[in-house]
Amino acid sequence: MQQALDRITTLGARQEPAAYEVDGLTPQLVVAPDSHAALQEILSLANEAGLATVPWGGGTQMGLGNLPRAFDLAIDMRKLNAIVQYEPDDLTVAVQAGCTLGELGAKLGAHGQMLPVDFPTADRTTIGGLVATGLSGPRRYGYGALRDLLIGITFALPSGQLSRGGGMVVKNVSGYDMMRLHYGALGSLGVIVQLNFKVIPRPRAERTVVAAYRRLSDAAEAALQVRFSQLAPTAIVLLDALSAQGVGLEMPGWVVSLRCEGPPTAVQRQADRISEVVRPAADRVDVLDGHESERLWTEVGGSIGAGRLGRAIRVRIGQTPSELPRLAEEIDRARTGLVVELSRLLDIGSGLCYATLAAERDEDLRLAWQRLSGLGLHATLLTAPPGVKVDTDVFGRQPAGLAAVMRALKETFDPNGILNPGRFIGRL
Amino acid sequence: MDRQALRERLLRIVGPDGIIDDPDELLVYEYDASDEVFAGHHRPDITVLPRSAEQVQEIVKLANEFGVPVTPRGAGTGLAGAALAVRGGILVVMTRMNRVLEINERDGYAIVEPGVINLELSQLTQPRGYFFAPDPSSQRACTIGGNVANNSGGPHCLKYGVTSNHILGLEVVLPNGERIWTGGAAPESPGIDLTGVLVGSEGTLGIVTKVMVRLTRLPEAVNVLLAAFADLESASQATSAIIASGILPAALEMMDHLTIKAVEAAFHAGYPEDAGAVLLIELDGLAEIVAESADRVVELCRGCGATEVRVARTPRERELLWLGRKSAFGAMGRLAPNYYLVDTTVPRTKLPPTMRTVEELSREYRLRIANVFHAGDGNLHPLVLFDRFVPGEIERVLRCTTDILQYCVDVGGTLSGEHGIGLEKRDYMTLIFTTEDLCAMAGLKRSFDPRELFNPDKVFPSGFSCGEVNAIRQQAMAKRLGIEFV
Repeated sequence: MQQALDRITTLGARQEPAAYEVDGLTPQLVVAPDSHAALQEILSLANEAGLATVPWGGGTQMGLGNLPRAFDLAIDMRKLNAIVQYEPDDLTVAVQAGCTLGELGAKLGAHGQMLPVDFPTADRTTIGGLVATGLSGPRRYGYGALRDLLIGITFALPSGQLSRGGGMVVKNVSGYDMMRLHYGALGSLGVIVQLNFKVIPRPRAERTVVAAYRRLSDAAEAALQVRFSQLAPTAIVLLDALSAQGVGLEMPGWVVSLRCEGPPTAVQRQADRISEVVRPAADRVDVLDGHESERLWTEVGGSIGAGRLGRAIRVRIGQTPSELPRLAEEIDRARTGLVVELSRLLDIGSGLCYATLAAERDEDLRLAWQRLSGLGLHATLLTAPPGVKVDTDVFGRQPAGLAAVMRALKETFDPNGILNPGRFIGRL
Repeated sequence: MDRQALRERLLRIVGPDGIIDDPDELLVYEYDASDEVFAGHHRPDITVLPRSAEQVQEIVKLANEFGVPVTPRGAGTGLAGAALAVRGGILVVMTRMNRVLEINERDGYAIVEPGVINLELSQLTQPRGYFFAPDPSSQRACTIGGNVANNSGGPHCLKYGVTSNHILGLEVVLPNGERIWTGGAAPESPGIDLTGVLVGSEGTLGIVTKVMVRLTRLPEAVNVLLAAFADLESASQATSAIIASGILPAALEMMDHLTIKAVEAAFHAGYPEDAGAVLLIELDGLAEIVAESADRVVELCRGCGATEVRVARTPRERELLWLGRKSAFGAMGRLAPNYYLVDTTVPRTKLPPTMRTVEELSREYRLRIANVFHAGDGNLHPLVLFDRFVPGEIERVLRCTTDILQYCVDVGGTLSGEHGIGLEKRDYMTLIFTTEDLCAMAGLKRSFDPRELFNPDKVFPSGFSCGEVNAIRQQAMAKRLGIEFV
């Protein structure tokens, strides 16, 4: 093993291990390759020596994952950060995995285009990390999740083999969908090297309608009514007071936020029409303009991520939009007897609830997760202190048949189990 | 294989009316919508028509016991031969599983059996204000299960995305006979996105027995424009200009002179017969945006030399324009006895030179080529017309289509945009994928189907073998043996 580590050291820039902690473990070696060839060689050496390897992007979503079984080597992907090919008139872009969301966003923005995801950590969050963790914000309602915009992928297998799927065209059914195989697979089936996307024309204007309600039921009814109408907001979320405060909205009770994007006059008309729909039971309705609106949604992106939170956990629960309000109440009831502070954000557009619970004691957080894990259609512990992750699967329990398929895929692509060992679903 | 024993056992599962093994009756199942000249005809040993997921599961278990291939099939409208039982065995026809099990408009989804006809689902949900967005031209006949298998496209995929973007979950019988649900009504199901992996896998990884689809809200406003151009190239330029302007039409379709003539003769859709090419442009969404975009599109078309821009004023006019487009393949029968469909996609800015190349190749090989396609996506459909009984013509068609494919690949395109690889295009896979690429795909295949019983001889090039994947697979098998595969 030492021999392998010694050779790997020569294949990229060496980094300080202390900055690469995963749930309390730090690796023996961190290396940042700057070419495909170096990455391939590192992987093949790690594979032969059975080194527990963690592919590393910006490190902004490292709360996600089960406790690692071991951690020998981190591969920092940030030197593989080129925008490989950008064709503005085709609305397609190919980027290396280590490119940050911010860097890509700036490049696309200069041509009036974008990837419709918002994170406050955009200058550190890498594209590869986003796809590996499968995180898309509430704008998925209007534009689709990142998975729906992925048109091509290059990935390296532990053997060092480099493989591709898809291509650089927006419609393609040639071969299997290797993009979706890796979306949300936490880098456990291969190291993502390059991603190709179709990009979206950047809307020329945006506004956000913000409406406050005393009661959850009124707020939910307003949000669902818009969702059910032919109005076309690109994101609809519902925030409790604490959650609203977290994104800079000082409003009591429940807040509904609806994002409108498009040509200026159309955005204005739509914001007016949406305001009318949500006004009747509201205490207050505000409309945020351009920059203010954008800032709000970047903050919202921060409330749904899997970054480490200190003494808190974040749980993402899937539920149909119309059942989300009931779920929000169930979550509140589930903390009975626990000393936890709760904030909830409901993505009414897509059907997801993000509950963030803060407490002094691991025990309270552990119990809270236990109770929340059985709610909704599925639940994921997006981030938690390591002590809370003991004896649980942060991805929830899977039916046996489903788990068997995932295990078979893992055994095929990573037979020695070197990629993120223990961290993925079912402790794969 | 003891065919008689297999028949007996299948009979017990699906009953006498669920089995077809009379040679005359099997004849229809030797073909699908692909041209026999290129895909051949292949007789299954036996065809079964199950009525439930449980029956499908029993059939697959039996196939494992007998070690015979399984080929899933929907309505048989596929053009790539994916539903042909190349190695015989059991052909599982899903058309009798055609119930709509649930429609939930409040949360925007439906659960259907795979044999439900694509158009029927939209017709059923439209009165409630919803539709199923993927709309392949064969939507009056093709099944949702077939759409899932092929990740089908259609005109409206330009705005709404291909089938994969509209499948929330699947109930699937795996090659080992296990039945699982993937995905569900809420997004981000934990773990590997198996729904995404299964969509478009052409029946090589399992048989889908239930489909949870996303229903899309009908738009508030719809506007259909018809723009006529002197030639394909200016129409192609207009297409690029519209896409580059940031407007995203619901659909942007192109038809060339040959197609217009055929469609007009057959359907009298009202296309200008003297035009070298027309664009059919549908805009939908909020009334304000549609109006603004329509003005801009007209401007852009004129700027690219449109000789005429017409707006469909009534729903009837709109329907007629679409009927012409959707029936175009059918109208080809008026031009020639056979056609070969190329289904490549190119980067959209490469449309003008690509169309020029197609025209040159048409002249070079002395073959008429009709073009009717999803221009907005860059998804071409050159239909190479021929008569199989004219000596030498088949060979010229093959050379011509290979040249078209090669050109498209050279400019950054791909083999198939929406019809699939199947049997008929599998040997072209090496044009775009390396052995390493294909090996990873083979790994995926073998993770699901280690015995390679499901839809054999599809997607992968003939004779493809991957030593490394085999080795990996043996390791994995050894670990798994006695757990799932007894």
